[in-house]
Amino acid sequence: MNELIHVENVTFQYPGAEHPVLNKMNLSVKKGEFLAVIGSNGSGKSTLCKLFNGLIPHFYTGDFEGSVTVSGLNIVENSVADLSCHVGYVFQDFENQLVQARVLEDVSFAPLNFGMEDYLQRGRRALELVGLAHLADEFVWQLSGGQKHLLALAGGLAMNPDIIVIDEPTAQLDPYHAKEIYEVLKKLNEQYGKTIISIEHHTEFIAEYCRTVLLLNKGSVLWKRSTREALSEVELLTELAIYPPQAAQAASRLGADNVPITLNEAIAFFKEKVPCGMPSVPRQKPDRSQEETVIRFDQVGFSYKSMNKKRAQVLKNINLSLNKGEQVAIVGNNGAGKSTLLRLITGVKKPESGSITVRSQSVASCAPEKMADHVAYIYQNPEQMFIDDSVKKDVAFFPRARKIKGYEAKIDEILKQFDLVDLQDKDSRLMSGGQQRRASLAIGAAMNPSVILLDEPTASLDMATRKHLTQFILKLKEQIDLVMIATHDMQLVSEWATRVIVLHHGQIIFDGNKEELFSNPALMDKAGLVPPQIVTLSLALNVEPIDYSVDSFINRFKEARGEWPLQKASQIN
Amino acid sequence: MAAAKSFADKLSFEQIKIELLNTAYGNDRTLIAKLDPRTLFLWYAFFGIAPWFIHSRFILAGMLLFVIGTTIMTKVSRLIIFILILGLLGESGYLLIASLFFGGNLGIIIPLLVLTMKLSVISLASITAFCSMSPERLGEGLLRIGVPGQVSFSISYGYRMLPTLFEEYNHIFMSYRLRGKSPEKHGLFYFRTVIYFIKLAVKSFYPLLLSMAKRARTTVEALETKGGQYAFRNPAVKKLKLANLRIGKTDYFFLLISVLYLISIFISSHYVSF
Amino acid sequence: MTQIKERYTLTQSQKMMVFILSMSLYGLSNMITELVPEVNVGPVNFSIEYFAFIPLTLCILFHPFYAAIGASFGEIIFGEIMLGQFSGFGEMEKLVIFTLAMYVAGIIVNNPKNRVQVGIAAVTGVVIHQFLNMVSDIAKVWIGVEDFEAVSGLPQSVVAIEGFSFLNDVLFSGILFALLPTLYLVPRLYGKIEPLLGMKPCDNKTKYPISGILKPRFILVGVLLSAAAMGFEFLSEAGIDIFEWEADFGSTAIWISLAVAAVVALITIIVLVTGKNKAKRGMANE
Repeated sequence: MNELIHVENVTFQYPGAEHPVLNKMNLSVKKGEFLAVIGSNGSGKSTLCKLFNGLIPHFYTGDFEGSVTVSGLNIVENSVADLSCHVGYVFQDFENQLVQARVLEDVSFAPLNFGMEDYLQRGRRALELVGLAHLADEFVWQLSGGQKHLLALAGGLAMNPDIIVIDEPTAQLDPYHAKEIYEVLKKLNEQYGKTIISIEHHTEFIAEYCRTVLLLNKGSVLWKRSTREALSEVELLTELAIYPPQAAQAASRLGADNVPITLNEAIAFFKEKVPCGMPSVPRQKPDRSQEETVIRFDQVGFSYKSMNKKRAQVLKNINLSLNKGEQVAIVGNNGAGKSTLLRLITGVKKPESGSITVRSQSVASCAPEKMADHVAYIYQNPEQMFIDDSVKKDVAFFPRARKIKGYEAKIDEILKQFDLVDLQDKDSRLMSGGQQRRASLAIGAAMNPSVILLDEPTASLDMATRKHLTQFILKLKEQIDLVMIATHDMQLVSEWATRVIVLHHGQIIFDGNKEELFSNPALMDKAGLVPPQIVTLSLALNVEPIDYSVDSFINRFKEARGEWPLQKASQIN
Repeated sequence: MAAAKSFADKLSFEQIKIELLNTAYGNDRTLIAKLDPRTLFLWYAFFGIAPWFIHSRFILAGMLLFVIGTTIMTKVSRLIIFILILGLLGESGYLLIASLFFGGNLGIIIPLLVLTMKLSVISLASITAFCSMSPERLGEGLLRIGVPGQVSFSISYGYRMLPTLFEEYNHIFMSYRLRGKSPEKHGLFYFRTVIYFIKLAVKSFYPLLLSMAKRARTTVEALETKGGQYAFRNPAVKKLKLANLRIGKTDYFFLLISVLYLISIFISSHYVSF
Repeated sequence: MTQIKERYTLTQSQKMMVFILSMSLYGLSNMITELVPEVNVGPVNFSIEYFAFIPLTLCILFHPFYAAIGASFGEIIFGEIMLGQFSGFGEMEKLVIFTLAMYVAGIIVNNPKNRVQVGIAAVTGVVIHQFLNMVSDIAKVWIGVEDFEAVSGLPQSVVAIEGFSFLNDVLFSGILFALLPTLYLVPRLYGKIEPLLGMKPCDNKTKYPISGILKPRFILVGVLLSAAAMGFEFLSEAGIDIFEWEADFGSTAIWISLAVAAVVALITIIVLVTGKNKAKRGMANE
């Protein structure tokens, strides 16, 4: 028998919820599949996957109907622990599923608990599979985010399960580490025959790695198809706020019926049709000498004491002057010093050497409370910014503490501007990720700063929310002199930034506009940056100037409509 | 008071990490660190309790010498020992002054010194037994003598979560500072500033309580999938975990020396009046 | 114990969640207070001794036993073991006393929305804790000094010094780090934090009226029994194996005296508090 998972007529309702989250669900998964589960927020993706190891209905006791068998075991009759021998699960907040101090101890925790004598060997083998064997004796908290994610995966693998479920890996990781984890999953699938089920919204990864796609909507299965068929449904997916790969979007909007879904296909698809003779737009170099300097870094260095009594250098020799009206993106690997750079501006950390001035005020001599009059810092994790018990109170915290006259009216206006009026009395921590981000931006706006610093504002958001949020980021510049964003999100950089600063091992290796950056693949590679698909595509097609959005890309082709042989599109694949 | 001002600066994430690693990798190369936890528990059970019931100054002095010796063997910094004994003497000093005030006489000095000796023996015994035992070994030892598995799990979990939690606490604390307003004037003895920081330190726990609740939930879910809940009660798991705990020659040797020493001072105490 | 079981039953996982929550947070706070310098003005000590409000809040909102025992372990693990300061029997003493104190504070409150109750509970928790600490410190000198009573001036001075530090801690820590923060946190968290652990907020209005019907003598007997049961529960929770193990050395004497002191203190306080609550409830009924 080839069927590993069989879901039949399953309905599930969380206790206290008004509607069932799964509604007469039917599904069958075969051995060796690499399945992507997609669907908009609240479509029941995570709930479905929690059926497979029995967390539903054993841990979440709601109303459960129907039958589910996993590897021949009925989930109602078998315990979570027994089912977990067949299903390895990587949670979305994987940090909290690592529960032991050291790496090896954590990875062999499950086999140990099941009383397996070879638990250490099992742990070691799992570490080797994910490429963490060299870190076996480290403490878990010494690992980077990407390594922790791999460890969580290894923890599932230690029991040698048939099925691996992984919940939104790309939402929590930067693109570089997301690719790394998918390479591991691919190996597990192809070489070890594991069945992989990945909840994923990032369609470029789906196109590259998954073979089948399950689309959920409102607790039911819409369809399950091969990846090619699934991602060709550009209109349906877009309607459900799932964004197909940019290349597929472009081809579909140009009217092709058999769209390319990966970069290589797209290059082949568009290569013949690139309209030639486009006038190249002269690049305008902004003249920075005329502008007013807002922030100046002068020979700034920063380090902290590390374990072996040496000092770990986070930033060195940073010289920068940032001007009014600029939209600055700080990019670079994890650990390149992006967050530290931003925090130095807030006065929370003091530079070890050199000086930083914000509007001719020296940061070193100022308490963070003083700097807050000029600078607003928006945390990477918005939850860490919520210090009061409702959205409104959080947004009003700054003006209230300063007893600014008539602040209430201003707060109401800001709540309206960030679309938070209906949410204003909720506790910020209990909202969805996108709402939390919006609230954190509103908090920043309410401080009425001249500089706003955003740390990874689009991290751990799905594509739809990301798009939505970008609009709010664009609004910020109307009221604020200088906006700085530290980010991995190259799509945001390509659509928003006027100046890009690349950090690498604490030093600035590039400072200029995005055109220069994106046309320098060697530099991008060195800094671990992955440009948006449409940019890579434009580069590969040698179009001038590079297109940064799907819109500008298709406009180029639309203008040259005459040369666009539609019927040929289907012959390519 | 400047110390209170730099409260936030001192409590840095990196500092905590270093503290933790120092304890974890501390001095585990000494003879005493190589002993089985059970040996040390047994040893400590005597030296930590018996002094309360021994009133012979000679025996107490002998025991004190012995534990000073073992403490030095653990290579704990001498400063710690010095400060500890100084503190105990200081406490007795307080008692002495108070007693004189309540109409006592200097005859109280001797009983107080005896008390200080007892407390010193007990404290040094605990330093000997536990300072060189890494938390992981301590957990194993506790598990071995029948303390529920949740305790050794918690020690490991503590190591896993503390740095993360600490960082989060720091972030929240800074959130208050990045939006709040510190007092304009420091007040008498920096009174206002201190109150401001204390308030923040307390208030920062409100967001942390909620986010920790979320963490606790995923953690317990994960424990469920990893069979953790059953393992706490499964003797086979305990056996596997403790497979490398062994009482060896060194252990017997250590206990033997201790017993011989004790017997000899008990015997000599009959012949010596002190 | 019967009272508590009726209060609301928890699954094994929920108990573990409360334990982990309480352990991690109180442990963290302990590490922070360990690192903050203290200030002495003469004999008066202004140190942040402990953030008692964390276990108090959790004991009031959740099952008090698991919150209390979690907090105690948090203190020992984060504040002592992980900083290399574990001290054997001293920790056991802390464990028993602190758990007992927080637990009692937790069972006093049957309606977290009632600020008076919460306030009384917070102060009571600290008073019991500091009182038992005082008793144990006095007991140590008493046991440690031969013919304690015969040494003139010593008993008075011990009582005076320990009594002073008792008052110092109750007034300073009790108000600043127990009463005020607990009053701030409990109403904010009530109904908000429980769903995050997948629990219903404890709503005792429906479950507590029994005590209003019962005759006073009935309650007194129940209180006595539950106090005794609790004492035993602690002995067993604290690791009964260790007790058996060290029994040969005669240490039980200390523990028995401690337990007796604890039970006496507990009964006094519970009688006082239930008396008050009953009077209030009586007034409300009329």
